[in-house]
Amino acid sequence: MPGAVGGCGDFGADVCEGAEPSAKISMEIPGMHSGENLETLMVRYQQGDFAAATALIESISPHLHHFFLATSNSRADADDLLQETWLRIHKVRHTYRPGEPARPWFYAIARHIRVDHYRKIVRAAAGERELEEMSKSVSSAPPHAGGLDALMAPLSESQREVIAMLKIEGMSLEEVARATSSSVGSVKQKVHRAYKKLRETIGRAGSRKCRDGGLA
Amino acid sequence: MKDEEIDDLWKKAAQDPQELDPRVLQHIGDSIKPTLRPVRPLPSVGRMAVGVVLVCVAVSLAGAARAGFFGLAKMNLQERLLVFPTLGLLACLVAVGFVHQMIPASRVRISPRALLALSSVALLAVFAVLFRDYHTDHFFSAGITCLLTGLLHAIPAGLLSWLVLRRGFAASAAAAGLIAGTLAGIAGVGLLELHCPNFQAAHILVWHTAVVPVSAAFGALLGRELRARTRSPKT
Repeated sequence: MPGAVGGCGDFGADVCEGAEPSAKISMEIPGMHSGENLETLMVRYQQGDFAAATALIESISPHLHHFFLATSNSRADADDLLQETWLRIHKVRHTYRPGEPARPWFYAIARHIRVDHYRKIVRAAAGERELEEMSKSVSSAPPHAGGLDALMAPLSESQREVIAMLKIEGMSLEEVARATSSSVGSVKQKVHRAYKKLRETIGRAGSRKCRDGGLA
Repeated sequence: MKDEEIDDLWKKAAQDPQELDPRVLQHIGDSIKPTLRPVRPLPSVGRMAVGVVLVCVAVSLAGAARAGFFGLAKMNLQERLLVFPTLGLLACLVAVGFVHQMIPASRVRISPRALLALSSVALLAVFAVLFRDYHTDHFFSAGITCLLTGLLHAIPAGLLSWLVLRRGFAASAAAAGLIAGTLAGIAGVGLLELHCPNFQAAHILVWHTAVVPVSAAFGALLGRELRARTRSPKT
């Protein structure tokens, strides 16, 4: 069965190794000493070290911003969500447990903020027919290569966030499971369903293209 | 289309990064700087779980001390040895799950829903094995009294447990509420087993066990409602 839930190979080898959560975020940031990773920076941040806080902001923010862009499709929204996420991170920084992987912790909070934002939008849009129709037209748009928003369009909210973490941010299954407070099996299932939906959507778009070409 | 081709589409799509405005980063740094001071990380999971279990035991014992230990007095040794250790084990399991819900990015081994199902099924199994009196006297009147008594004691157990874990952060308020409600429900069942001398199988299986799912449902609703109310007005 293509895209089977059970095998790691289905989602690419990079997401199955996942031994070093923060190893993929490697950059040189002022305030970040050589050999330091997100986990040690988080401990220093908890101790009130502003240089560590700055290094964290500069190292993790582009990734969180990318995650918000992949799941919200709006740059202004992504900027707002990023700032709100950092305010929340700052408020609950004591809940990070030294020794645990830091990246899923950041994404768990980012996800919390994003879900709140999404629910607010849904509530605001309820009853507004125009917005409803607009979202319908967006979700029925066929994906094409190169367009992240179009690729994400047919997927549900939970599938989008899992795909964004796994495929766009390159997190491991274990990290995504932690960030979404679910099991690895549940993450695999969501990815499997997302791929199934994408295959169907892309297949439909392809056959429509062929039919239109044939008629022409 | 194969999965590898879809993977390639993701790779291409992901290679189109939009630069993050440095002013946004500057603004974030400036906003956290004034309140940056050392914080104390959360205690260990075990310590917090023990605290939560102790709260539940204290609520059950206090409730039974006020209402009377009639159930405990009527139980034989076998019943005592099976009912209370099961309740204790379930309380420990659910307390650990509750603590994990209050720590972002904790590894979830058993989901809150699975813990609720496990608790309900385990209690049903133990009660079904132990209590064989199949009479149903005053089924509804006695049952509703027990359900309400259990739920009334679940409320302080849930609130005090939440107080113990107040420094945590529930990434999913509904899930945290569900599991807090499950734990509070177990405390309520504990009180009923200590207090209620009605050992009719139908009474215990239906009304005593029902405290757990009803309390869990209230907890989930409360968690969802609190989250909706405390959502920041920004964005």
